Amino acid sequence: MLNHVVARVLPSLLALAGAVIVSAVIIAASGSNPVVAFGALLGGAFGSLDSLSDVGVKSCPLLLAGLAIAVSFQAGVWNIGAEGQLLMGALAMAALGTYGARLPAWLDLASNLAVAAAVGAAWAGIAAQLKLRRNVNEVISTIMLNFIALGLISYLVQGPLMETGGRYPQTDALLPGLWMPRLAPYRIHLGLVIALLAAVAVHVLLYRMVPGYEMRAAGLNAAAARLAGIDVERRVLMALMLSGALAGLAGGIEVSAVTHRLYERFSPGWGFTAIAVGLLGRLSPAGVVVAAIFFGALDAGSNAMQRVAGVSSVLVAVIQATVILFLVALEHRRWLPGSPHSDGESQV
Amino acid sequence: MTVSTDATAPRLAVCDVAKRFANVQALVGVSLEFRAGEIHALLGENGAGKSTLMHVLAGLLRPDTGTILLDGRAVSFASARAARQAGIGMVHQHFTLVDALSVAENLALSLPEQSHFLFDADAAAIEARALAERIGLQLSTPDTLVAQLPVGACQRLEILKALAGGGRVLILDEPTAVLTPQEVRPLFTMLRRLREQGRSVIFITHKLREVKAVADRVTVMRRGAIVGTYDVSSVTESEMAERMVGTVTSPAIRAHRERVDGAVVLQVVEISARDGRGVPALQGVSFAVRADEILGIAGVDGNGQRELFEVLVGLTPPAAGTVTVGEHALTDFNPRAALAAGIGHIPPDRHREGLVLPMTVQENFLLSRNILDRFNRRGLLRRAAACRFAAQLAERYALHFASLDTPVRFLSGGNQQRVVVARTLAEQPRVLVTANPTRGLDFAAAAAVSEALRAVARRGCAVVVISTDLDEVLDLSDRVRVLSRGRLSEALEPPIDMEHLGLLMAGAVATQNEARS
Repeated sequence: MLNHVVARVLPSLLALAGAVIVSAVIIAASGSNPVVAFGALLGGAFGSLDSLSDVGVKSCPLLLAGLAIAVSFQAGVWNIGAEGQLLMGALAMAALGTYGARLPAWLDLASNLAVAAAVGAAWAGIAAQLKLRRNVNEVISTIMLNFIALGLISYLVQGPLMETGGRYPQTDALLPGLWMPRLAPYRIHLGLVIALLAAVAVHVLLYRMVPGYEMRAAGLNAAAARLAGIDVERRVLMALMLSGALAGLAGGIEVSAVTHRLYERFSPGWGFTAIAVGLLGRLSPAGVVVAAIFFGALDAGSNAMQRVAGVSSVLVAVIQATVILFLVALEHRRWLPGSPHSDGESQV
Repeated sequence: MTVSTDATAPRLAVCDVAKRFANVQALVGVSLEFRAGEIHALLGENGAGKSTLMHVLAGLLRPDTGTILLDGRAVSFASARAARQAGIGMVHQHFTLVDALSVAENLALSLPEQSHFLFDADAAAIEARALAERIGLQLSTPDTLVAQLPVGACQRLEILKALAGGGRVLILDEPTAVLTPQEVRPLFTMLRRLREQGRSVIFITHKLREVKAVADRVTVMRRGAIVGTYDVSSVTESEMAERMVGTVTSPAIRAHRERVDGAVVLQVVEISARDGRGVPALQGVSFAVRADEILGIAGVDGNGQRELFEVLVGLTPPAAGTVTVGEHALTDFNPRAALAAGIGHIPPDRHREGLVLPMTVQENFLLSRNILDRFNRRGLLRRAAACRFAAQLAERYALHFASLDTPVRFLSGGNQQRVVVARTLAEQPRVLVTANPTRGLDFAAAAAVSEALRAVARRGCAVVVISTDLDEVLDLSDRVRVLSRGRLSEALEPPIDMEHLGLLMAGAVATQNEARS
């Protein structure tokens, strides 16, 4: 049993070690001291309560979008469209956020978040319908839907949804009642708690519930699942829409808790980084939590690293990318026990 | 063009070639000669070693021992390309063409390289045409995309590719399997023309009629060894069939069971179905299986076995006909409905369809609608109960694992199959449909699976064993029917006339409904 746990975690740890070594070489080659740089990075992330709170804020969208990836990938559905689904969720929140105050504020917020999740699910649902009805590969359709979401937002924030007064291409700020509660004086907000609860819920679904079992079986061996009487198509639809809902929720929370409005370049690519988070977390909800915090910490510490060690904060992107390259390269290892993909099944 | 012929030496001689895979002796010291200017048929059941032998000749496999003499010189090939350059080309059952490339480009892939970097499309087209002319094959326009070619034209292109290296020996692996009846005649004409040019044509088949139609000599293989080589004119179809099936296996059929007289549980009436290409694969198949009966469905692979399995387990709706379990005819054909009707199954390929390899033993025990629903409490999986269930199954079927949390991938093939069998039997099916249930298992595991099937039959289940392994069918079944070219024979009861069985398998005698129509 312990062996299998080690076999699951080991590739992630090896990939991390590899990424640290590679980035240390790059830092040294650019004339800085790797030890100083990494120290600054760590300090910037975990050095104070303020920075810790910042890590939490940065981790939140990655965690939810990472869960979106985990759900769909475990069901064998390659949703590359978390970015678009996240943007659509953010759009829903921003569009609804200037109305309201009909209900108690917390109920308004909760219902708006639900709408954001539903819009994300619907956006993913387009790809699901294309896949099930027209056999369109979801990798293609979800990527294309990302561009459509970007274009749609670009149009809306410069046109119909542009702020009153029309100075900048952005929406009006949310009504203060719809702002996600924070733990003042820190920036950390209630959204992180929602994201952690979502991780628990996804874990229960995948490992404690029949639909989740069916999704995993369908993802690992669709032919066997079908012959066992599992409705594979239904599970594909469910996985993709749930994935979209989680991504949409990520966007909605980010608008409500951090930006309070929507503008172009709202997302720095959370939906894509989420794929890295999902893979680093080995597609398990617990792993995704750890991976999201790690990526959030890199993000939060990068400015300190630039300030203190003079290493460009872009290096963080290098670390993230290197982790994924190592991880993918380790997927087909023969010398590690228990590779989940060693039987030529679904590959990333 | 004619290939020079040395009258004294055989074109190709195989001397004492043996080949062993992990736990199967595929070839046991095989010696065989092929002459120049002959069409030599290689006849045998599935697993007789025909393909292994040909793969050795074509450079795809290396023999463990033995030598191969091409025109009297010992040869050894590092690759299929090397064999082809030396003059031995093989056409596989599954084409090895690149759909997105043109005819000329596909041909260029098997020609000696002109340059490592540049591809001269015009030169390739000219060369392709020249090659086709030398051999006298009609080639489609060189710049046609292969994706647009009909099957017969693809096969001609494959033959041309195989002959590109000089073509002293051409090996064809069941070339008629992919062809429509109308396409077979031109193929045979072409093979005769190649023979006139002095080439050796080796023709793998298990259809006696084709041997008679086109071959000069025939070699019969059984269990990795040569039974004999005969002039086709001097053997009858029934003699060939008898040698192919072998008379050594006396019907080990369950002779102790006098007569099965339980109620009919499974009734299949006039089932027809098409395969993936839309070609009729099952034609008016009817049979009944009683409680406490094991019906064996023998036959050579590709005669409708897969389609029959798919119809019975609900994967493919039949084009016509009905399946009735007990009193109820199946109205929906999907796996869920079949399971609900009480039709359990053991699929032919446990890795592809029977198990989810990365999941644990315990999780794989749940992999059936019927079992999963037992542990479903409004969506929640009743884990404790499922765990007890798995432990009971492991206990009852003497499954010895380190832990039920072991991914099933780490189990031996025998234990994996036991997981499938245990799960299926736990459903307490009224009908059990199995396909090659003991394939690839060692003796002990195969015996355990066989015993489990007999036990479930004794408890009143109607069991169907669809198998391309005749020994397996004879070992398990109370009665045997033969599926040949999508038609089912009458039931053979013990004692079984092995010669008749062989003829049925080879499609040499008409099945009942064929005679009727």
